[in-house]
Formats: sequence, structure tokens, C-alpha cells
Amino acid sequence: MKLLKTRRNRVLLFSLSLVSLAGLGAAAEKNPQSVLVTIRSILAANQSDEFDAKLKGMEQQLKSLKYRSYRSLKDDSKTVPWQGTQSFEIPGGRILSVAPQEYQNNRISLKVRLTENDKPVVDTTVRIPNKGNFILGGPPHEGGALVLSISAATN
Amino acid sequence: MTNCDTIREKIGSWLDGELNAHDSESVRAHLLDCGACADARRQLEKLNLTLNEQLNAEAAPVDFPAFWRAVQQRIEQKRSWHEVWLERWRELASAPKIAWSVPALIALVLAWFSIESFLPGWRAAPRNNFAAVESIDAHGRSVALLRENETKTTVIWLYQDQEGDNETAEDETKSGPAF
Repeated sequence: MKLLKTRRNRVLLFSLSLVSLAGLGAAAEKNPQSVLVTIRSILAANQSDEFDAKLKGMEQQLKSLKYRSYRSLKDDSKTVPWQGTQSFEIPGGRILSVAPQEYQNNRISLKVRLTENDKPVVDTTVRIPNKGNFILGGPPHEGGALVLSISAATN
Repeated sequence: MTNCDTIREKIGSWLDGELNAHDSESVRAHLLDCGACADARRQLEKLNLTLNEQLNAEAAPVDFPAFWRAVQQRIEQKRSWHEVWLERWRELASAPKIAWSVPALIALVLAWFSIESFLPGWRAAPRNNFAAVESIDAHGRSVALLRENETKTTVIWLYQDQEGDNETAEDETKSGPAF
């Protein structure tokens, strides 16, 4: 090959290959295709000292709420595309709508709306670490308070 | 191979005194009896003489003692550490080698910014695991924001308004948890 005959050409060609490869790597950084959103509905109350075994992984997080008992009511997971919205049925006739907005620095931005009888209860936008969660709680339910653990992980 | 051929092969060594006593004697005896081999000896001696004269004529102007002194001096001279480093640096900094480092540096910088796509979370995760609340609208309700340090948990807590919502709330939920 004529192009590879001189040392300078070989160096230039190698340099171009390196830069192209690095450029390809940089281009590979993009939003994952969708987000797996998981909603755990929990009843927090003070009528007993029961702690649901299903909630063992969340024990420390829930203990900060200072209720005496915690019971798992429902777990629901759905895959949601970016800019798409998924609705989750929450005990008490409530609906939680989750819309992933963007993914940046390993954080997922989620737009969350809780409605009750078609009336909005809360609208919030929260940026959570990938595979992390946050807690939305407070709505009254069965003599206690409803606690929602909202987690998201990129697919 | 005849005896003469063998003897002629040894004449050069014989003239240089490199043969053992037995061979030397046999060559000497043969040269006394064989006119052809004696001619070969004379030719060889003549050639040696000519070569020596030529070599001496060429080497005479060369100042060998000074030359060897200079070689000896270079061998004995110890270079200082900065001369050694300077020489190494010159080798490294030669143009083709510098040319390699430029794209390598660019590749490293781009790799730093693109590594997140290959190893998600390696950079951002250890810094701050809290969820960040960017906006919140509780539609007139009271709301509390809690950040629990031990588990790095962010909690958004909604309080019932005074009129209450559709569900019958007990006193404890009206006041909310004791954070």
C-alpha cells in the first residue's frame, strides 16, 4: 500500500484511527431505551408492631418515618419509554402516573403525578439515582398512611 | 589431492610460523626438493612484502597513540545524571513519538467522557445517592421534604388539609409521622 510507505503517513493513519474509535465511544453515550419503574405500596400505621417480611430490604428506609407497623399492599413494575407515561393503580382508588424525562450522570428524572378520584394530589419532578428510589407518603389509608416507594432503573 | 597441493596450502602458515614442528619440517623438506612449490613460496613471500610496504605507507601518517588515548578517555568518562536524562528526553521527544501522544491524549479525554455509557454509574453513584426533588406542587396541601442521611432516602410527605380528603383520616395521619 502506497499510503503506508512513509513513517509519517503510518503515524497519521494510526492517529486518525484512534480518534475515530474514541469518537465512536463518545457517540455511544446516549439515553437507555426505557426505564423499569417499580412502585411498592405500603401501609404505615400505629395499630400494631407488625413489620411485613416482604419489606425487609426497605426496613431502614421505612424506620425513618417513625410508624410502628408497615405492611406491603401491592408491588407493581412497568417498563416505560422515555417521554412516555405509565399509570399505576394505587390502593384507595388512586392513580400514580410516572413519566421518565431524561437520563444524565446516572440519574433518571421522573415526572410523577398522584391523583385521587381524578383530582391531582401532587405533581413532582424528582431526579433519582439509577436503580435508586424515593418515597412519597402521607395520603390516609385504612387508618394509617399510604407510603409509596418509587424506584427506577434503566433498561 | 597431491602432496604438492597439500604443501602449498601450508606454505602461508609455514611462513608465519604457525605450523607444529613435524609439519614445519615436512614443508621445509618438500620445498628443498620441489621446484614448483619453491616458486609458489617465492611468489607468496613477494606478495607479503608488497602488502606490508603498502600498509606501512598508508598507516604512517596516522597518530595512533593520540587516537587510542581519546578512545580510552571516552570509555573512562562517566556521564552526569542530567546528561543521561537529557539524552533519554531527546529520544522520547523526537517528532514521530510526540505525534503518537496527541491522538492518545484525545482518545483518553473522550474515553473519560464516554465511559459512563460502558460502565453506568461508576462515576456519579458514589457522590450523592439522594434523590433530588426538582419541583413539587401539592395543590394546596402541606408537604414536607425529608432527607434521611443514613439510608440516603428522600421522602416527600403529604399532609392532609384541614377539610380532609375523600378518605377518612385518623388523627395520626393528619399530623403525619414524627420525622
